[in-house]
Amino acid sequence: MNSTHRQWQRLTAAVRRAPEERSATAPYGFATRVAARAFAVQASSSPVLERFALRAFGLACLLAMLGVAANYSLLRNNVPEEDRFFITDDPAAILLDVS
Amino acid sequence: MSENEAFDLPGCLERVRKREQLAARNLVEHLYPLVIRIVRSHLPRRVAEEDLAQDIFLKMFTRLEQYQGTVPFSHWVSRIAVTTCIDQLRAQKRRPEFRWADLSEKEAEVLDNVLTNENDVAPDDALEARELVHKLLDQLKPDDQLVIRLLDLEQKTILEISELTGWNSSLVKVRAFRARRKLQKLFADLQRKERS
Repeated sequence: MNSTHRQWQRLTAAVRRAPEERSATAPYGFATRVAARAFAVQASSSPVLERFALRAFGLACLLAMLGVAANYSLLRNNVPEEDRFFITDDPAAILLDVS
Repeated sequence: MSENEAFDLPGCLERVRKREQLAARNLVEHLYPLVIRIVRSHLPRRVAEEDLAQDIFLKMFTRLEQYQGTVPFSHWVSRIAVTTCIDQLRAQKRRPEFRWADLSEKEAEVLDNVLTNENDVAPDDALEARELVHKLLDQLKPDDQLVIRLLDLEQKTILEISELTGWNSSLVKVRAFRARRKLQKLFADLQRKERS
């Protein structure tokens, strides 16, 4: 063991013997503040996107339904004459009827 | 029955996961002595110990869902505390070269005694020795500081340091070797220019 190592060991041994005069208990209000901040951070950060996405989905559904409702009569009246056959005459129903 | 034995940690964690404020407060109060001891051992300059302790607890709550129970909860929290401290140490600027003039009169006296005779440091000088050691360790890189603090001041084993830091045993040994060599050089420089 060289001399510098021994010098360092003597210093660190003295440090280990040094009394700890500072308190090891949480200061008044510390735990309350930390707990409140922890829950506030969790509540505000993680589900933000989730909540935003759900609201956006709901809004999109509502807009789609409003769009269909507003244009329902137009859609119904604008079906070309040649397509009405396919819409009103269900091939399965015709087949069953025949049988 | 001691306070630690009386504390129902699994029950408390369960209630914290259900977002009970009282349980979270109890958990912070229960773990504070452990966390503040680590913070005080590795506290970077110009960082308030309470602020650093708060950062550690906030990280703990954020990552609580990741805790699987494979290691004791106190070990898991200690690791968060150590890695948070080392992140802070890495963020701070390197201290300028160590000089005798940086020491108080009493600290210089303690260092002088250590360098010039073989006697142990007097118990009355323990607090000055602590300041002196912190100033000397400030000269090392953050990772090297951490290893030396854990090895020489807290007398942890290589395995314990490995668990606390996440570094493998070989890396811990290499860092310890490098840090000791730097300390030796520092002591040699100090002896050469002793109070010059």
